[in-house]
Amino acid sequence: MATPGTSPADAPRNHAMFDAEFSGAALNMQLLRRLLHWLRPYRLTVGISAVLVLLASTLQVLMPVVLSLVVIDHIIRGETDPMAPDLGMIDITESIAATLSIHPLLAACLLYTALQISWAVAGHAHRVTLISSVINGLRDLRLDLFRHLETRPSSFYDRVAVGRVMTRVTNDIEALYELLRGIGTLVGEFVPFFVALTIMLAIDVQLTLILLLVLPVMGSATYYFRRATSLLFRKVRMTLSALNQSMQENLAGLQVVQLSDRQQQNLQRYTQINEENRDNELKSARVETLYGAFTDSMAHVALGVVVWYGGGAVLQEQMSLGGVILFTRFIDMLFHPIVALGEQTNILFRAMASGERIFQALDWDEKIHEPANPAALPPRLRGEVRFQHLDFGYDPGQQVLDDVSFTIEPGEKLAIVGPTGSGKSTLIRLLSRFYDFDDGHIFLDGIDLNHIHSRDLRKRIGVVLQDFHIFSGTIYDNIALGDPAVTREMAEQAARRVNAHGFIMALRDGYDTVLSERGQNLSQGQRQLLAFARVLAADPEILVLDEATASIDTETELLIQDALRKLTAGRTSIIIAHRLQTIQEADRVLVLHHGKVEELGTHEELLEQQGLYYRLHSLQFQEPEKQT
Amino acid sequence: MIRSLLRLKAFVLRYRGRLGLGILAFGLARVFEGLVPLFLATGIDRIAAGNTDLVLPICGILLAVVTRYATVTYARYAVRSVGQHVAFDLRQALFSALQQQGSRFFGRYTIGDLMTRAVADISLVQRFIAMGTILLVILIYATLVGFGFMLYLSPSLTLLLLPPLPFVFFYAQWSARQMGVASKAVQDRLSDLGGQVQENLSGIRTIQAMVQEENEIKRFSETNQAYANAFYRQAWINSLMTSWMPSLAAICSITILGYGGNLVLQGELSIGALVAFFMYVNMVVQPFRVAGFIINLFQRAAVASDRLFEVLSLDPEIEDRPSGATPETIRGEIEFRDLSFQYEASREPALADLTLKIRAGESVSIMGRVGAGKTTLLKLLLRLLDPAPGTVFVDGHDVRDYPLAQLRAQIAMVPQDPFLFGEPLGDNLTYDDPGRPLAAIWQAAASADLKDTIEEFPDRMRTLVGERGVTLSGGQKQRATLARGLIRQAPVLVLDDCFSSVDTGTEEHILSELKQLRRGQTTLLVSHRVSTARHSDRIVVLEAGRIVEVGTHDALILNGGLYAELERIQREGAEDADYTLAGAPG
Repeated sequence: MATPGTSPADAPRNHAMFDAEFSGAALNMQLLRRLLHWLRPYRLTVGISAVLVLLASTLQVLMPVVLSLVVIDHIIRGETDPMAPDLGMIDITESIAATLSIHPLLAACLLYTALQISWAVAGHAHRVTLISSVINGLRDLRLDLFRHLETRPSSFYDRVAVGRVMTRVTNDIEALYELLRGIGTLVGEFVPFFVALTIMLAIDVQLTLILLLVLPVMGSATYYFRRATSLLFRKVRMTLSALNQSMQENLAGLQVVQLSDRQQQNLQRYTQINEENRDNELKSARVETLYGAFTDSMAHVALGVVVWYGGGAVLQEQMSLGGVILFTRFIDMLFHPIVALGEQTNILFRAMASGERIFQALDWDEKIHEPANPAALPPRLRGEVRFQHLDFGYDPGQQVLDDVSFTIEPGEKLAIVGPTGSGKSTLIRLLSRFYDFDDGHIFLDGIDLNHIHSRDLRKRIGVVLQDFHIFSGTIYDNIALGDPAVTREMAEQAARRVNAHGFIMALRDGYDTVLSERGQNLSQGQRQLLAFARVLAADPEILVLDEATASIDTETELLIQDALRKLTAGRTSIIIAHRLQTIQEADRVLVLHHGKVEELGTHEELLEQQGLYYRLHSLQFQEPEKQT
Repeated sequence: MIRSLLRLKAFVLRYRGRLGLGILAFGLARVFEGLVPLFLATGIDRIAAGNTDLVLPICGILLAVVTRYATVTYARYAVRSVGQHVAFDLRQALFSALQQQGSRFFGRYTIGDLMTRAVADISLVQRFIAMGTILLVILIYATLVGFGFMLYLSPSLTLLLLPPLPFVFFYAQWSARQMGVASKAVQDRLSDLGGQVQENLSGIRTIQAMVQEENEIKRFSETNQAYANAFYRQAWINSLMTSWMPSLAAICSITILGYGGNLVLQGELSIGALVAFFMYVNMVVQPFRVAGFIINLFQRAAVASDRLFEVLSLDPEIEDRPSGATPETIRGEIEFRDLSFQYEASREPALADLTLKIRAGESVSIMGRVGAGKTTLLKLLLRLLDPAPGTVFVDGHDVRDYPLAQLRAQIAMVPQDPFLFGEPLGDNLTYDDPGRPLAAIWQAAASADLKDTIEEFPDRMRTLVGERGVTLSGGQKQRATLARGLIRQAPVLVLDDCFSSVDTGTEEHILSELKQLRRGQTTLLVSHRVSTARHSDRIVVLEAGRIVEVGTHDALILNGGLYAELERIQREGAEDADYTLAGAPG
């Protein structure tokens, strides 16, 4: 027999893996390829975008050509550089001048204007098409991710921090947006780079090669700078988050801080972190400023090089003056991509780590095992629940339920009591199929639970947990839960029966009151009543309730007890009870202890036995009998 | 806007020397930068004239580049470091100021709000000083220097370049505003999305139990689409800006090309100067592109500054003005004399003419409905809220005469909300005095019935609690905070409903332990449960801020008042249907 709690199909999972840090140090091609899968539906748009970027880049390169080769060389100096490819700009200028019979200079201005406008339009179209494919692709990815996470079982959510799961859907996908946008930016920089490079090589190979020598210098400077700053940035991020955490915690626990007279000490600690953060910030500012002016300085040095080399070349008639000037205009296009690449690397690496986290989540296939041929349930179950030799443990070697066997008759109300950790919650988790089990059986009207699809099962079992989750939406939405069969009248009737109608009508918009996140505008007791209304409206055959432990004021408590009575009437009910009242009203009481069924019987029977229940009971409710 | 920013004066002026030098250096750097096109023009003209002597222009360019690099690097660092120092000082000031505040303040400001001030607002001010100053200075210097050099080269061409510039400026401003709106929409949609995911995942068990997965996925898909739409709109505006901003600036380029080219043809301008003009226009227009961003940054920084000083300028809520005549150690006699208290936001008084004397060594339970004033009473005793003079006395001295730290050291309070710091459990238990021996900590844990729990943790007292560590159950947290109160062995112990999540059996056990431990010492205890209160020497029942009953358990039961009623309800539960529905809404 396999280890209790894990199905034979999969080995125990290490959930710490899910919370582990990802470095994202290297460019992960496999990851990028996987990402492409989500872009595939939009490949046509991406293709159009690629054509457009080529067009825009060419137009961008043509403008300096008009200045240098057309205006300066052709119109002003009346010479042409046989080596310099003017790409037909001279002919076009001349034909405009001839057609409109204007001065060639004016014609050049018109051409320049036309090029500028076309560039603006093509560039915009390129960016918009690219980003729209990215947005749509990532939207799909995010939805797929959410869908995947939404259907992970409790065993997953019991062991990983919700915050960690949440950041996958939010921050990590955001990082991918940055990544793909960054790649878009690089495309917009590098395509003009290569177009310009082609023309420069055509004009003068030697000068071009000399200028390209600057690139490795800039590239390595950029590389070392990025490496230094990414380290510093990480430190800054760490100290900054420590700083915020220290402040946040101090505020949250300020009453304790003041009661313990820790203000001075905590300020000292904060100062320490604050100083460390400032020093890290200053260090990274120093590195950044050193690098910041470096790239434009290199571009200026390159200008000197062009003058020095171009001077000789022009005198030896290897180059025209316009050719030299064209080189000066191309320098920015040559160097800017390197700067942009530097700017994008950090984003790139961060996105790699995010991508790994996203795919880890998508690959996390933990799930409840559903039967291959699920049993068909009758339209209405009688509601008999039978536990048979059930053993269970969350982790190997730790037994939480130990040979649990008992039967609940249809319509019976069973209270489960026992000390903390006795297995009460586990029992109802298994009954609701939140966990797989394979050692022992649970039968519902004689049907093995493992033969019922969890979805079918949960429609028949109404579960009210300790934290009554309130969905964003109106009160009505919260009762009906999207079931079209629940009309407004039915919802209201359900609310009336469980004593929720009163407080609902006291709210400003009655049943249309929009509830905020986690139902903050309702009290604990009101939320419980609302959860009851929800179950009553769904009318499941079986009720599973984990009674709230928190103390609720006596009046609301009475309303809840009354509602509970109506909710359980004629319905098989299993209640983890904390209130004596609830226990006394149950048909039978089951006492769990260390995962074993210690006692089972009516309240009176168990009291007579003078066993564990008697002890629990007398502790909880000492002496008052004597008073009356 | 200016006035809001001026509130930062005191913080910035501390670094005026460095800031001034930085701004000066920016000016110098611009001049050096402006020399580069000038030398380039000289070089081009010499080449055009067939002159082989290019030493001057080349050396000129190199020299200008080196000096510019040095000055601009210095300038940027100087200004940025001022920003960091100011942020540092603001954080210190804020932290100290917040530590002085109390319940009234935190009723008005949520922690989330204060954290936004501490994180986002300070970072905005820092960026305003560093980036904002730099950009503004660059904008001014670039315009002055750029136009200076251009005027020197050709006044008439320079004047022709002026008309398009305001358009560039206004377009920059307009599009920055558009971007602002679009970016805010993106932020809002993103926070909707985050909120929805968070809410959804924290309720995942209920969602799955209720088979609501498909509905939730559908709901998420709508939010997801709304975010994608907002994002696309922002990208669209951003891309338009990237296209049209250079196109507006191109009006200048075309003017240079046409009019300047004509000047060259007529021999009034050199080819080198024509090329230099292109570079100068770029130098002037470039900073204009970010004009909108600068204005936006200044506006946001002004708001941030107001928000910071709103909190910084508040006086401490509770004044610490010891009279010097109070005893070092108290016996534990407490007296409330005609004590009334009303919260700012409330119309009804929380406490009204409350008079009560508690003998040293007595144990007193306070009962009453939610909102009866139980916690308020305790807070006034500890001066977490400030009572009027002459209303609350400890050992015959007004609590306002005690040094705050001493008062709170002598009266150990265990608050309702079991707060633990994200530190090792042991440090949490001995929070007020980290120097206590481990044995004392274990003993306090044992008294609070927490010893067994801690021994189950592999790291025992070193176990990290909170978000990054072990999550304790509500009852465990309450017992931990109880231990934190017990460890102090203070003359007075105040427990504010701190058993609500502890199961009754454990509570019973702790209470009997307490009885032993606190023999002969004053203990005040707030509770909902009769089973808790019955052990006390006296029970005080509050109703709407007034004492309605005082006495022993037996006496109050005989009395047949509210306490007896509560006892009956809690014992019998809801059997009495008349009562159930009498006070019930609906």
